[in-house]
Amino acid sequence: MVHLIANLLQQALGAVGLSGFAFIINPIVSAVVMFGGISVFVMFLVWMERKVSAHMQSRIGPNRVGVFGLLQTVADALKLTTKEDIKPVHRDKIPYYIAPIIAFVATFAGMIVIPFDKGVSVQNLNIGILYVISITSFTVIAILSAGWSSNNKFALLGGFRSAAQIVSYEVPLVMSLVPVIMTAGTLNLNNVVEYQQKAGYWFVVPQFIAFLIFITSATAEANRAPFDIPEAESELIGGFHTEYSGVKFAMFFLGEYIAIIVSSAVAVTVFLGGWLPLPFLGSLPIPGFAWFVAKLLFVIYLIMAFRWTFPRLRVDQLMDFGWKVLIPISILNILITGFCILFFGKGV
Amino acid sequence: MGSLLSYFKNIIFGFWNLLVGLSVTTKYFLSMKTNTQQYPEEKLPLPVRSRSMIKLIYDGEKDQFNCVACMMCAKACPNSCIKLEGVRGADGKRRVTTFKLDFSTCIFCGYCVEACGFDALTFVAEEYENSVYKRGSLLQDEQAMKWVRPAHLAPKPEEEVKAEAASTAKAGV
Amino acid sequence: MTDLLLSQIKLGAESQFGTDEYVVNLGPQHPATHGVLRLIVKLDGETVKETTPVLGYLHRSIEKICENRTYPQCITYTDRVDYVSAMSVNLAFALATERLMGLEAPPRAQWLRMIMVELQRLASHLLWMGAFAGDIGALTPFLYGLRERERIIDLFEMTCGQRLTYNYIRIGGVMIDVLPEFVPKCRAFLDYFEPKIAEYEELLTYNPIFLERTKGVGIISPEVGINAGVCGPSLRGSGVPCDVRKQQPYLYYDQVKFNECLETAGDCWSRYRVRMREIRESVSILRQCLDRLEPGPFETKLPPVLKAPPASEIYSRIESSRGEMGVYLVGDGTIKPWKCKFRCASFNNTYVLDQLTRGWKIADIMAVLGSLDMIVPEVDR
Repeated sequence: MVHLIANLLQQALGAVGLSGFAFIINPIVSAVVMFGGISVFVMFLVWMERKVSAHMQSRIGPNRVGVFGLLQTVADALKLTTKEDIKPVHRDKIPYYIAPIIAFVATFAGMIVIPFDKGVSVQNLNIGILYVISITSFTVIAILSAGWSSNNKFALLGGFRSAAQIVSYEVPLVMSLVPVIMTAGTLNLNNVVEYQQKAGYWFVVPQFIAFLIFITSATAEANRAPFDIPEAESELIGGFHTEYSGVKFAMFFLGEYIAIIVSSAVAVTVFLGGWLPLPFLGSLPIPGFAWFVAKLLFVIYLIMAFRWTFPRLRVDQLMDFGWKVLIPISILNILITGFCILFFGKGV
Repeated sequence: MGSLLSYFKNIIFGFWNLLVGLSVTTKYFLSMKTNTQQYPEEKLPLPVRSRSMIKLIYDGEKDQFNCVACMMCAKACPNSCIKLEGVRGADGKRRVTTFKLDFSTCIFCGYCVEACGFDALTFVAEEYENSVYKRGSLLQDEQAMKWVRPAHLAPKPEEEVKAEAASTAKAGV
Repeated sequence: MTDLLLSQIKLGAESQFGTDEYVVNLGPQHPATHGVLRLIVKLDGETVKETTPVLGYLHRSIEKICENRTYPQCITYTDRVDYVSAMSVNLAFALATERLMGLEAPPRAQWLRMIMVELQRLASHLLWMGAFAGDIGALTPFLYGLRERERIIDLFEMTCGQRLTYNYIRIGGVMIDVLPEFVPKCRAFLDYFEPKIAEYEELLTYNPIFLERTKGVGIISPEVGINAGVCGPSLRGSGVPCDVRKQQPYLYYDQVKFNECLETAGDCWSRYRVRMREIRESVSILRQCLDRLEPGPFETKLPPVLKAPPASEIYSRIESSRGEMGVYLVGDGTIKPWKCKFRCASFNNTYVLDQLTRGWKIADIMAVLGSLDMIVPEVDR
């Protein structure tokens, strides 16, 4: 469908004599489609989180707006966009305005290398994994500048916490992906899935520990509970976004959920076989995209369940956990994988 | 070596307990059981003893309030929110003329209802939707508090009450 | 902001660069303070250097109001002293007045009082458990705790008609006898409730994050606790036996079998364990009380206008859900108390907050504050 629209637009450009600019059509159309799709998916996710938490707590959750309350998020989004934009007086103007934009764009940009189906990704980068990891860590700049520029003590504490957290959890995040990259021998996300198809197993089976480490540090990267110390509501009220309201708050909110989608999508692609069907169900007429979304929802459910079950770690314990548990174990994991590759050839 | 072992043991023990916690929430998630009552649509019957709204009992047959303006309720009230006046009627009995209860200071302790010896004040469990738009509307007079007791709530005759008490005493409750 | 920073740097160059304390004002409107408590916290980075509680935002001068009310009327105000555990305060005041007047409530009233107070302890501890977990970041136990508390409150509503401010325990007895279906319903609730305790424990007790956050945090040593007047489960977590139900039995607590729950470490986790074990003990006390409940009068018949107690004074104490709840009454021969003073557990428990949090992180303030089970209306009164 995307290609169809892009082709049409390219022909239209050619008709008015601007075929030289045709190369920009594809990315723009893809970006617009992505943006629309992801926004709707985020709205669904917010609704899902509310429903999941509600049923975990034996409540009902949103059920007033639309069927099963599905339009609740739409109503909330409308409310946020029409709300008065309250700005602190002594804010540092430029970082204050840039921060929500960075938070949103940096995480959203991570989406473009995710393969939703065989060969369906906005850009099939050769360094896909590296790209996702590096672009999503831009959020630390957003959070730090939001915390600093709000001129609020709680926000500043939240910003500093976030800087320490994201920097230290970046390490186990990358390290948990290293064994997979070593085995598959590629950084391209498409090729990682194709390797899993050829090998006949998903990486979650041999690399279960790496999968756990990845989910844990991805949760921390997305500032989700139990690692939500930058916005720990019981001590810092709203953390870095205490002073944000209206659309700017909505962008932070959107950014958080897109970060979850990106991390879960990477987890699905790398560890759970991306668009591949479940074992023994390959003959069913279900498109690869549907398998991808189903797996994505499962991983997102896990991250939501963490939030609604576990208490929050303290800031120093968070560092302890990252440096003293996750990193040693992931190094050990890399070592073991390396030895396996050395002695048993490729394929763990 | 021992410390290394305990390091791994701690991690595994912790991981196991995280799973135990997750199993509880997942169990509730899958069971989909809810404890919510959706108030405006679903109204729960309140217990008969609910202290919802104080009403002044009006005797429809005799066309008069039961209240004889003995002032016991006004004396019992900890916040002095009851103001009432009465006159002696033609039959020689006192009858209430004005009865004012300020619900903005009433704390629904129930002392006025307990103090009343003439079956003139009562709590009505069903009337619990007491919100008003103006604070002044909370000062209610005898017309607003007028309440005719329906037949099924009529007080039981004394013999029946005694018999019931005896039966509960036998049951040993 | 950049200009401001530059000017500060210039200032620093002229004088000397100095570091200052980072003063954070937690409250009076703050998600973790359970009401309108204000804490002025001086921080060094994340580390707490000093915590100063500022009280009085919920002061309603209940003690002074009580001096202008008759004794029965005061009971309606005791509901509001600690609205999470209103029955206990009702009982404390009623017992004090009875001792002042030399009254004794009939046995059925005493058993009913015990049932109500123990149910109230369950309700209060459940709310505490949820709020404590919520302070630490686990939001789900709060809803589970409230779900069971709702059933207890339904029992109260069935009996006395109110859900929060009961005004049920009166001088000389209780307000009204329980309905015949109360006892079976109460037993059914206990049967339903006992497996739920295990569920809370699964969610919290050995959760590694919960252990990290609470073990070794905010240790009250027995000496500090006794000197500061800490009482109730908070002090029993440090291994000091201080349960008034055991030390100085009132009602019929000497006739039921129960253990005083003690832990030795004195940290947040011990206080949590003490309360969770107390919930189990309360269930056992409740079962014994329901077995021993005999028919009989539920109150001593008193004249409609209470006879004035003699001019004397009394200090009477009970074990409320939060600790020792004392009532000091001075009568002057009239129908109103000349002086009324409530000794509330929360007030003393808040006093040690500064000592417990110094040198810890800011997140630990929430854990310690939660574990002390402080109720702001009881602190301010």
